[in-house]
Amino acid sequence: MKPILDFAFQFGAKIALNAELMVKKGGRYFLLNENLKRLIRRDFYYAGTYLGKVKNGKFFPSFNLLAMLAKGEANKIVVDRKAAWLFICGRDVFRRGVVAVYGSRRKGAYTLVLNEFGECLGFGKITHGLDAEETQVVVKNISDVGDFLRREV
Amino acid sequence: MSGKEFFVNRYEQLGWKFKDVELRQAIRINVTNAEGKNLEERLRSLGVQLERVPFLETGYWVSSSKVSVGATAEYLLGLYSIQEAAAQIPATLFTALQNKTVLDACAAPGGKTVQLADLMSNTGVIVALDIKKRRLAALSNHLERCHVGNALVYHLDARQASRLNLKFSRILLDVPCSGNFAADTEWFERRTLKDVERNARLQREILTEAVACLSDDGEIVYSTCSLEPEENEVNMDWAIKHLNLQIEEIDCHGQKGLTDVFGSQLDVSVEHCTRIWPAETQGFFVCKLKKRAGKR
Repeated sequence: MKPILDFAFQFGAKIALNAELMVKKGGRYFLLNENLKRLIRRDFYYAGTYLGKVKNGKFFPSFNLLAMLAKGEANKIVVDRKAAWLFICGRDVFRRGVVAVYGSRRKGAYTLVLNEFGECLGFGKITHGLDAEETQVVVKNISDVGDFLRREV
Repeated sequence: MSGKEFFVNRYEQLGWKFKDVELRQAIRINVTNAEGKNLEERLRSLGVQLERVPFLETGYWVSSSKVSVGATAEYLLGLYSIQEAAAQIPATLFTALQNKTVLDACAAPGGKTVQLADLMSNTGVIVALDIKKRRLAALSNHLERCHVGNALVYHLDARQASRLNLKFSRILLDVPCSGNFAADTEWFERRTLKDVERNARLQREILTEAVACLSDDGEIVYSTCSLEPEENEVNMDWAIKHLNLQIEEIDCHGQKGLTDVFGSQLDVSVEHCTRIWPAETQGFFVCKLKKRAGKR
């Protein structure tokens, strides 16, 4: 559970997870509900809500976990439609595409990237303070939902 | 016993005149995720024109689109799934899915698993099985994308489902089948009657195991995308004679099941099954089964 809490902390977010409902398999973390906990067997492949995996000592969050973090207090930026499209294509975010900032604006901080509807598209790292000039990349893309397409290739 | 002429002749004997069809792309809205999000309007603003599928509550045909509907943010966020229109029917035939323990016995790549989760509003439990481990990755991606939280996935052959030691009140058997020409342009070159017979045997084995896992008042929905009666009506006739099952009446798009198959008379209740010959949708077969009262 620690990798998940540490990951959330990087976004200035707190997440309440019931340790008794968490299961781990092959470095992958899943959150169950009571019904699933009652029925689950050890040899499961996937269970409940996938939260992310640890690989080579590094935590890779699921998009479920990012969406959970985005519902609460956390570093977030909201981007316009064009920036949202570019972001899910794997591109970075320019200052001119940012329409709102919540939480940290500091260079080096991690931030969730939301579209105009408040839906979490992924996350990135602030490369320039979010008060930078319009033409500067302010958030470097680390992970975005376009990954679902890239996984299938 | 193969080739286009052979199969087309069979279809004519069954009362359907062969015609080439062009499948329409369809999507299904994941209501649990899309509720209150004005999805139709959002897609329209992207240049996606939708047309309601008349026999589905949450299904739409894509009339035209300026973008790939499999690459929009709305798709990647799980607000909708791409799912052939006829394939959207089986999951809707269950009664009262919420809070139930459901088996999806041949689940990958997961289109119907996600649909079940949506119909269950993520309540209860779906146990999803597939025999091919490689296909479980696609199933898992599908579950993650659509924020499904009530599924347990196992790498398990549906013919071994009783190893789970669980009783299910709803079982979806979207069984492996021979497919149909509408969904596979090389179907006639690829398929033989032997394939059909082999699949029919496999389907009977899966059905038999499913009955062993079904609670006394439970429901099985059986479906294939095959047009071949051996995998459909003939198997259902076998099931009611050998597995103490009865076929329930269902109200859905399509025609009555065949009861006269190449001169063989099947049980009259087989007409409660639904057969869909290819037209706007692919070919499809679906029916609902319950344990026969008094023989549980």
